[in-house]
Amino acid sequence: MRDVAVVGAGMIDFGELFEQSFDDMAERAYLNALDDVDKGIDSEDIDAAWFGTLDIAENASSGLGLSHPTGLFEMPVTRVENACATGSTAFRSAVEAVRAGSADVALVLGAEKMRDSAGGLIEGASLEQVWRGRGVTMPAFFGLRATRHMEEYGTTREQVAEVSVKNHENGSKYPHAHYRFTCSVEDVVDSPQVTYPLNLYDCCPVTDGAAATVIVSEDVVEEYTDDPVWVAGSGLATDTVQRGADESLAGFPATQQAAEQAYEEADITADDIDVAEVHDCFTITELVTYEDLGFCEKGEGGAFVESGKPHLDGEKPVNPSGGLLAKGHPIGATGVAQVNEIYEQLRGEAGAVQVENDPEYGLQHNIGIGRDATGSVSCINVLSKDRP
Amino acid sequence: MYEPPFTRDRDANERLAARECDACGWVSFPEHREICKRCGSVGEWTDTELEERGTVQSYVVQQRLPDEFETPLPLAIMDVPQTSGGDPARVYGLFTETDPEHIDIGMEAEADFRRIFDVDGLPIHSFKFKRPRGDRL
Ligand SMILES: [Zn+2]
Repeated sequence: MRDVAVVGAGMIDFGELFEQSFDDMAERAYLNALDDVDKGIDSEDIDAAWFGTLDIAENASSGLGLSHPTGLFEMPVTRVENACATGSTAFRSAVEAVRAGSADVALVLGAEKMRDSAGGLIEGASLEQVWRGRGVTMPAFFGLRATRHMEEYGTTREQVAEVSVKNHENGSKYPHAHYRFTCSVEDVVDSPQVTYPLNLYDCCPVTDGAAATVIVSEDVVEEYTDDPVWVAGSGLATDTVQRGADESLAGFPATQQAAEQAYEEADITADDIDVAEVHDCFTITELVTYEDLGFCEKGEGGAFVESGKPHLDGEKPVNPSGGLLAKGHPIGATGVAQVNEIYEQLRGEAGAVQVENDPEYGLQHNIGIGRDATGSVSCINVLSKDRP
Repeated sequence: MYEPPFTRDRDANERLAARECDACGWVSFPEHREICKRCGSVGEWTDTELEERGTVQSYVVQQRLPDEFETPLPLAIMDVPQTSGGDPARVYGLFTETDPEHIDIGMEAEADFRRIFDVDGLPIHSFKFKRPRGDRL
């Protein structure tokens, strides 16, 4: 198997982009990624592309959704859909193909128009199966973990809120973030209740966005850069709360399993990760993800965020970009953008949110849920500064 | 009742019909066909029925939902026992007539047969949960 490197990363500023079409966003993210390649790249160099979108606004339901805005025709384009792990799964799929030798240069593009359709995900949730879907919204699905975590481990409401405070602080310094305000623990716990125990500032915004990444094989990497970032490992797993494991009431076994795969492939442990971009669709998601990824012991997520370790200047910075809470969560773009942020961190190019521990390994993580909000899927990619 | 998904799950929705894996005791509810979601065996199953009560394992209270929902709407993950004993089923339970202040992990809840919602004007019936009468505060 060949080693694979990231050589270009592009995204657009996330936000309420009513004035931009899906194609506008995808085209700009793609061009930004091409522009980012140190020694330049021609569109003709690209052998294949992977396209991540849930197509919530229904305008890109095939590979054409990538080909049309980029002008990349007459090549294999694979559309990937994997709930909120769509972008990271598209990246993982592209990496596997380049590793296996079916392409030397591949494009990964993720995009989502979240604000063009009013109904959103609640429509599906309200009419799906009586027992599994009725009335189970996204904040409910994650809030169930929060209630249980607080009961089982004594995690406080304030500790959960700390995640929002940290990520908004980081997001205020990150140029592509949707929201760039800061807030206090009091602001979070006093913000309007969405679904007890989660309030408005515990939830990520509804955001449009696009991101693109260029990856290449070891055989051609020198044509594009002298400073590549390598893919060290990845993992992908599924689970559902209905299997009856108590563990899944206050955590996400799928993340634990995906992390195990990724660490094993990279031949590292959780201790080796220097910086991470993780799925914080809700505050509690990031808090339990510290535990699922092995950054701290089970039940210690609250103490971990309180200790300052995952802060920008801490020993294990998590979500220096502000995460989904500040940056936004345009589903297909989310994982691709996280890969790009880790790429920038490992190259020391993250500007105002550059971590200071000279990172060698960076981790990108998504958790996604299935149609009935009972299943879950997790995808993790680990990048490294040195060739694995 | 012409919507296929609702017709298919009618026994589960209206009679709390479930099945127990003979190999590991996992309760399949609503019913699944052949493969056990816990032990993975493609084994034998025994028909079983759930009790009209359960124990709250975790819960939330939804405050902002479309008009067709009553809010605030408590929603719980519940362990619902089989009438014949063995492992309980783990299910999502919608609550009704329950003050959000009066729901907690570990509490028992009673099931009530209700009209859950309409599909194209036709009612879909199933169970909602509430705090048992004697325990009302
Ligand atoms: Zn079984």
